[in-house]
Amino acid sequence: MQILIRLGKRILAGIVMVLVVATFTFFLVRLMPGNPVAAKYNDLILHGMTPVQAMDQVRVMYGFIPHQPLWQQYLLYINQILHFNLGRSISYDGVPVLHIILAAAPWTIILVLTGLIASFVVGILAGVIAAIKRSSVTGSALSLSGSILHGIPQFVMGLFLAYVFTTLWVILPFGAPYNASLTPGFNWPFLSSLARHAILPVATYALSSYGGWMLTMKSSVITVLGDDFILASEVRGLKTWTQVKYIAHNAILPLFTVLALSIGFMFGGSLFIEDIFDYPGLGNLLLHAISSRDYPLMSGAFLLITVAVIISNIFADFLYSVVDPRIRR
Amino acid sequence: MALEFEARDFHPRGMQIRDLHVIYQTNQGEIPAVNGVSMAIAPGKITGIIGESGSGKSTLAMALMNAVPKPGRIVKGSVVVDGAGDMLTIDKKIRQKVRGRDIGFVFQASQNSLNPLIRVGKQVLDLGRSHNIKDLRALLRRAKELLERMGMDAERILLSYQHELSGGMRQRVGIMLALVLEAQVVILDEPTTALDMISQASVLEIVRQIHQERHLTTILISHDMGVVADLADNVVVMYGGELAEAGSTEEILAHPLHPYTQGLIRAIPRISGPLDQAIALSGSPPDVAALKVPGCLFASRCPKRLPKCENSRPIYEAIGSDRYVACFRGTEHD
Amino acid sequence: MSVAESTPVSSKIPHVPKNRATFLHTAWRVIAKKPGRMVGLVIILFFTLMAIAGPYLYPRNLPINPNAIYAPISWKYPLGTDFEGTSNLALIVTGARYVLFAAFMAALFTVVIGTVLGLVSGYYVGWSDSVIMRITDFILTIPGFPLLVVLSTVWNFGQPVAMGFVLGITGWGGLARAVRSQTLSLRERGFIEAARTLGLSPFHILFKEILPNIASYIAMNLLLAITGSIYAEVGLFFLGVVPFQANNWGVMLNLAVFSAGAMSSVQALPYLLSPLIALLVLTLGVVLFLDAVDELFNPRLKEA
Repeated sequence: MQILIRLGKRILAGIVMVLVVATFTFFLVRLMPGNPVAAKYNDLILHGMTPVQAMDQVRVMYGFIPHQPLWQQYLLYINQILHFNLGRSISYDGVPVLHIILAAAPWTIILVLTGLIASFVVGILAGVIAAIKRSSVTGSALSLSGSILHGIPQFVMGLFLAYVFTTLWVILPFGAPYNASLTPGFNWPFLSSLARHAILPVATYALSSYGGWMLTMKSSVITVLGDDFILASEVRGLKTWTQVKYIAHNAILPLFTVLALSIGFMFGGSLFIEDIFDYPGLGNLLLHAISSRDYPLMSGAFLLITVAVIISNIFADFLYSVVDPRIRR
Repeated sequence: MALEFEARDFHPRGMQIRDLHVIYQTNQGEIPAVNGVSMAIAPGKITGIIGESGSGKSTLAMALMNAVPKPGRIVKGSVVVDGAGDMLTIDKKIRQKVRGRDIGFVFQASQNSLNPLIRVGKQVLDLGRSHNIKDLRALLRRAKELLERMGMDAERILLSYQHELSGGMRQRVGIMLALVLEAQVVILDEPTTALDMISQASVLEIVRQIHQERHLTTILISHDMGVVADLADNVVVMYGGELAEAGSTEEILAHPLHPYTQGLIRAIPRISGPLDQAIALSGSPPDVAALKVPGCLFASRCPKRLPKCENSRPIYEAIGSDRYVACFRGTEHD
Repeated sequence: MSVAESTPVSSKIPHVPKNRATFLHTAWRVIAKKPGRMVGLVIILFFTLMAIAGPYLYPRNLPINPNAIYAPISWKYPLGTDFEGTSNLALIVTGARYVLFAAFMAALFTVVIGTVLGLVSGYYVGWSDSVIMRITDFILTIPGFPLLVVLSTVWNFGQPVAMGFVLGITGWGGLARAVRSQTLSLRERGFIEAARTLGLSPFHILFKEILPNIASYIAMNLLLAITGSIYAEVGLFFLGVVPFQANNWGVMLNLAVFSAGAMSSVQALPYLLSPLIALLVLTLGVVLFLDAVDELFNPRLKEA
């Protein structure tokens, strides 16, 4: 029951946050130099539309009408967002923004989720080993690997991998999500091309997030190793495996929340990778929207990226209260 | 079934500790936390080990289990448990069996000796499985019996997490975990330190009753002479990682030989007497540098100091049957 | 006092430095202890010097040389040249000012906002705490880098201060939360209670009693915020969403990768590698130096 109340509160707070972000994008577009909404309206009039047609067109694209009072425009915009209407793209000839976003999202999800899971699993295991063997050479080497990889920015990692494996030692393809000469579908050549093209982007994401997981898990395990109950379980003669289970269970708990949060941040977390490897995900979409001044698309993409984080925030909070009995009451 | 337990012999087991040395590796060099301790723990009796904080008594307790946490290290000695062997040299697998099954241990910090993420009942089962107990139902039954003995709602406790229990309850759960496998030797390290006076009294009473019923061999470690005097059959006094004096409780209380023991006894507050009769021991326990002096460790605080106390350390030696002292004045009078 | 200081144990614990001279002395001792820290300090000083003096070493408009486009590494061009025949070394040196100054401003904004809000929120438990934490949650929720990218459409990042301001204003959330939780635990300690009972002003308690105790954490965060900000701003320029207005390592990266085709042509490689190496060496310096900061401000480490 208390969990439900807590969950309800979080969802309410999340909705408020979405509204705040929507307000932000609303005013952002209006603050834009040269007010793109009014500019578009005038442009359409110049192209021979009647004011009514032009206003309709602009309303469909941006979700508000240039000559209405601000508050009416705002309400109209929010109302459309609540109905999952994000307006129409300018650069994609009036295709609904939501459709474009939904088409781009899977690319980002596959890319980042694979990298995230790989780095989480490897990082956690390495972190446990680095913590338990922290006074040995293995331990120091693992810690060093974490610190170094953690310190290299994602775009440097991406450029490095791309250079090494596509120029210096040409074993992997560079750019594009798959070989354009193949027909997309559930066939072997296409799928294997897809996988080969995904290796470097995924590796970039995985390598640059591995360090964070490893270092966090290491310090978490070290903290737990110092807890009294670990010594107690040793002195009570618990089997080594049971002791390891106790340690891992307690140490991994704080990381679960971070993992849930990372899943939310993944929609906006691969801008560099998608840019370098020319991957058609949300990050590239956002960059494309900005460079082509496609403001409805930009607002929509940013809104979705943020909503993903808010949802995963709520999920992380809920997850934590489920896995940690101390929070449950 | 219950046979598993009944088949085991219930003769009280003793322990022989010989020349035990434990050091702590620190930046300032090696600190001898336990320095050449030898003693025999009498089977079926309560042995009280008393000393100030820093006297090495808790390190000694962990050394008896061969579980001294880093940066501590056992460098020398033997801890022979009757029927089990030397804790310091036996095979790791056997040692894991002896811990918990033959020797129960109640922690100084029993407050936090439970896994915070698992219910108490599950932890009892984990303990049983680790020691290859086949009949887990019987195990839970005995856990409940013990908890009820200690005046608790057993069903509720087994379904609780650590954070749902009070300090006194956790301590009693700690005692239950030490006893549920029918260990015959029980080591209690400051079992009442974190408790209020009322819980303290009831926990000690439980210790006494269970000790008698089960013919246990009990080692009670405390800084509180009052607690030890009340419960123990024999008393061992520790100072600066070494033994100062040992004997039966009556002997020690009536004729303390070591000036440190005398100070400890004077420091016991008596409820009936006026409070100012309790005299606090002046000075503080020896620090790292003081442990390395050639003379008696207690010399700087000793009211009966002799010139030679500064230069040579008195030997801990027998001066009667089961009566030991390490003091140049020990054999002189009284 | 003098008795305590003469004992061997306490003499190993340097007291919180009272004046600048002793602080610098202690700092030097801590830094000189390990060669890695010295290397870190030297790298940081080197780049700081570059940022201050760099633009004065070269003419305002860097010379171009149509005969030396993508020239290989030589005495004249120690890091090669770019697509116009401009020395890469000159680009790096003149670009350092924007990069470092913006990063420093960003770190300053992050630390000042994060620390003040964290202290206030942790000390005055109640409505101000809830309000500040709501805002912090919000800041932490908004994905920072996409926000920067979107903001670049309306915000002029031409001035390093403007860049630093935006990076700071979007990046203080984590620090505020950490400072708050440390303040919460510190305010329950004896010496803070004592200060309150003595009737000392909240300002005094917050900035004279609590702040010194979390100084190490804040100092570490200042350095980490600098490296984080460097990555973020160079990243923004690399993505090409910010109009190129000044020489900048990120601009070099962008042009090298997306215009010069440095990924496939070997001759343009020095153009790509120059900013990358500058970036990595600077990061290395900060990471190496971090170790010294940790020991300098962290009282627990000093005792050991």
